[in-house]
Amino acid sequence: MFNNFVSKAIVPVALSITGFVVICSIVLCSSIKEDLLKTTVQQETNLAATVISATRYTMMTDDRKSLNYIINSIGDQKGVEHLRIFNKEGVIMFSSTPEELNQVVNKTTAGCIECHSGSEPSVRLGSMELARRFVNADNHNVLAITAPIYNDALCSAGDCHFHPAEKKVLGTLDIGLSTASLDSNLQALHWKMVSFCVMILILSVGGVSALLKRNLLTPINQLMDYVKKLSGGEMDNDFPKGISEIETLSQIYLDMAREKQLTETRLIKIQKTDNINKGEDE
Amino acid sequence: MAPSEEIPSSEQRHQKIKDRILSLKKQIRFSKWWTALFFLISLGAAVNFRFLPPISENVRQFLGISPSSTLISVALIIYAFSALILILGRMNTASVHFHGWSHIGYLSAFYLFYYYSGTLRDNFWAVFIAGLTILSLENYRVWSVCSETIKKEEKTLAFLDK
Repeated sequence: MFNNFVSKAIVPVALSITGFVVICSIVLCSSIKEDLLKTTVQQETNLAATVISATRYTMMTDDRKSLNYIINSIGDQKGVEHLRIFNKEGVIMFSSTPEELNQVVNKTTAGCIECHSGSEPSVRLGSMELARRFVNADNHNVLAITAPIYNDALCSAGDCHFHPAEKKVLGTLDIGLSTASLDSNLQALHWKMVSFCVMILILSVGGVSALLKRNLLTPINQLMDYVKKLSGGEMDNDFPKGISEIETLSQIYLDMAREKQLTETRLIKIQKTDNINKGEDE
Repeated sequence: MAPSEEIPSSEQRHQKIKDRILSLKKQIRFSKWWTALFFLISLGAAVNFRFLPPISENVRQFLGISPSSTLISVALIIYAFSALILILGRMNTASVHFHGWSHIGYLSAFYLFYYYSGTLRDNFWAVFIAGLTILSLENYRVWSVCSETIKKEEKTLAFLDK
């Protein structure tokens, strides 16, 4: 199957070009996915910071009703899957989902374990370490960010508050956004890359095959037919033209066939002369 | 030929050709085994080497920060490009030896680098396709050269039998 000229010429070229293009496409896809994810996480971190900033005054004044209202309003926005604030002990104090109020968060779950893996929880993490992806109870893909609510001078020194200065983290804000649009964009990108790879495969195999057929296979087949005719005794000058190497080969074959024919004619003549001489001698 | 060298007998020539055919067939088999080994390593990588114990904090501190996945991917592309060029170049030399074993080492190193940086799941297919392409091309090269040589040797054997 792979012993003919076409497969020997096409297989290595098609394999290396397609393989390399597929590798580059996968790497490119992975890199784009990473960049998109980084951008989304950054946007979500900014959103979390905005929420903390927007609720800061209500926290300082201990206005729980307003804080609840803000949390619910943001939680109702399209694409926001959940928004909650839990205290240092992990109890959910405010949430856009009223059913989970006053419940304790499991610190070993994704998104919590990153900080709580050691005996002492990490105080500061980068935005990527604070992000987590999961499928929620509604079967939606969610990208969630946990942003710590840090203690500051106004919190610890305020008249109405009881947070001591050595307490670095007062609570955590957890916001989860749907990744439906990100996932559909990535899916579209994957399909574009697959079509691109298929097109490259068709172009490389088709291009090489067409060029080989036009410039090599057809002239070789014509040369084979011509040589067969020569061996059958047909001496015409109608040899394959267009490719100089094939023309030279045809010319050499024609010269050899003529030489052979001439030698045969001479041999026949000599034999005839010999026969005549023998007859005269007898 | 040196005067001390003896002309080999017909049986000796027969045996020599048969040995050569056997060694060529062995070379084809050998290249398949190496590819199977790569598939086995890839199987481990596909499940994120979950059978290995997790890398401890001490080992991580000793090894230092992992290179970024972008950097590893750039290295993978450069490696794949160079390897393919080298194999295509080797096709002209008609060498019957399989050179894929070094590629198994390089590809495993890429799996380990991605594993260490925690991005193996996202980049598994890139390394796998790179390995598949490189080893398939190397296998095809070895198979093609060895098959041609085996045919020639078999013809010589048939000629000697006559």
